[in-house]
Amino acid sequence: MSEATKDATAPAATAGAPPAAGTPFTGRLRRPAPYLWLAGSVLLLLFPFYLDRFWLQAGLFAMAAAIGAIGLNLLTGSTGQLSMGHAFFLAVGAYGYCVLAGESSTENGHALTGLGLPSWLAAVLAVLLAGAAGGLFSPIAGRLSGAYLGIATLALIFIGQHVLFNAGSLTGGFNGRPVPPLSLFGFTFDDAEVVVAAVPFQSSEKLWYLGLAALLAGGLFARGVLRGRPGRALNAIRDHRIAAGVMGVPVARYRAGVFVLSSMYAGLAGVLLALVFQRTVPEYFGMILSLEYLAMIVIGGLGSVAGAVIGAAFVSLLPQVLTHYSDSLPLVSAPGTGGIAPGEASRYLYGAAVVAVVLFLPGGIARLKTPGEKKK
Amino acid sequence: MTTSPAPLTVRDVTVRFAGLTALDTVSFTVEPGSVHAVIGPNGAGKSTTFNVLSGVYRATSGSVHLGATELTGLAPHRIAGLGVARTFQNLALPPHATVAESLMLGRHRLTRAGFVAAGLRLPSATREARRHLERVREIAGFIGLDKELDFPAGALPYGKQKLVELGRALCMEPEVLLLDEPIAGMTADERRRTAAVVAGVRDSLGISIVMVEHDMGVVMRLADAVTVLDFGRRIAGGTPAEVQNDPAVVQAYLGAQE
Repeated sequence: MSEATKDATAPAATAGAPPAAGTPFTGRLRRPAPYLWLAGSVLLLLFPFYLDRFWLQAGLFAMAAAIGAIGLNLLTGSTGQLSMGHAFFLAVGAYGYCVLAGESSTENGHALTGLGLPSWLAAVLAVLLAGAAGGLFSPIAGRLSGAYLGIATLALIFIGQHVLFNAGSLTGGFNGRPVPPLSLFGFTFDDAEVVVAAVPFQSSEKLWYLGLAALLAGGLFARGVLRGRPGRALNAIRDHRIAAGVMGVPVARYRAGVFVLSSMYAGLAGVLLALVFQRTVPEYFGMILSLEYLAMIVIGGLGSVAGAVIGAAFVSLLPQVLTHYSDSLPLVSAPGTGGIAPGEASRYLYGAAVVAVVLFLPGGIARLKTPGEKKK
Repeated sequence: MTTSPAPLTVRDVTVRFAGLTALDTVSFTVEPGSVHAVIGPNGAGKSTTFNVLSGVYRATSGSVHLGATELTGLAPHRIAGLGVARTFQNLALPPHATVAESLMLGRHRLTRAGFVAAGLRLPSATREARRHLERVREIAGFIGLDKELDFPAGALPYGKQKLVELGRALCMEPEVLLLDEPIAGMTADERRRTAAVVAGVRDSLGISIVMVEHDMGVVMRLADAVTVLDFGRRIAGGTPAEVQNDPAVVQAYLGAQE
């Protein structure tokens, strides 16, 4: 994926080195890595010139998902706090952006409220809004541990869905609402064609670079957190909560803090998703989405940035790949023509992937590369 | 860290779990800069005492003071913030982190970097981490773990893991160190080394040490004072020699003579 991903495999290897006796510090084994990063990032930067809109959109979904998954992995993978409410915070980000940036208008007889703020400001505020929503929930998130928090956050999904369908003037109800394009320093990420090197750039091409930048920034920030003092505290809470407290870590405060941080990542992912979709619809932000995010971090690898990104790419690209090649794949057929629809097929596949990872790769795909296999 | 050493005073501490009295009006005082052993047969309440001292359990009644500060009722991280560090009888080390990272966790209370500083890698956070890693190296050298710093702590032999626990507690620069069976499960060589470390900690750093330990040889050699618990009650206390000859202690360990 992006540079952030490749970069982040190093801490994954360090933090997650399997306890195989006599394997000194696996993190050092990364000699060919710089070349891989370079090749990978050049490739990623060149994609908009060669790929068509379908694949660019798929890639953008994967980037947005990766940002969201990094956030969830901070909470669930690194701190051991289960959250089923991640989709809620994605929705806060996506709808927050629409309400803050959109103009008040009427659509299909619905009056839509919008504050008409500059869209870059709206994007920043939407992320902060998601963080604030996480902050409102954080007294609960600070007190509950593990699976109990998972149950409590389930409530957020139901509340969120209710509000999204019924607060018509804010959310547009069932039909959702259009997403105003983002403009940054006078440059607008919309469908107006800009020709760069004889390639027409539309919203997907432009957003591609925005998505890459956001993912890189998000990945590096999370890596800094995980490698630094807060990361050690979070891991201590996951590994041994009582010992963490005795070591001087204020457990409730850190749990609340990481919940807010993970909500902000979800908010950023929501803004990016909204910009790619160009329309937000309420049913997207349901429980399935939360489960998909959990699947991402389990498949990719709990507790590392690389794991989140790899898992996000796997889970969000799989349906797209299956859709694209549904003609040539056995058993999979285009939606509505009988047989298994690509979306369903991909769900079976990553369901199977989750089981396979849990059974055979406890560290997730991200840890495949780590040498010094543990044989127990 | 150079506040004048303060005595740790345990006064009439009682702990009840739903009708079961785990500790019954236990009192003792740990003099500053001394090694105080808490001994007793299994189930005597030694670990409960530690859990009260470190704030994991709340005393039903009674009080614990460090100097003039009351510890009873404080959350564990606040007690840790006052300079009370402990090790766990059953290891509480992260399974994957390296020894250096495990020790750095001990620096938590002495460092400041938060989410933003660490995430953005602010120079202040980087400098702080570097400075404290330096001190961690020193402490690792002091307890003989300098060669293992980059190994995953979980991959070390049991005795070394116990040393990592001890090192992590020392990294908190404590005033009071609570050691829960620090040498249990160690080889003879590791025992000697750990005992030397404990003695060195008391002599050179002036830290008060409370120690639960079954190895009587080590207790008699290291301890300045001993408190004996049986069935949650303090049955004897004094210097090791006094306690050794106390008929109540002999009876608790060997049973009453028929």
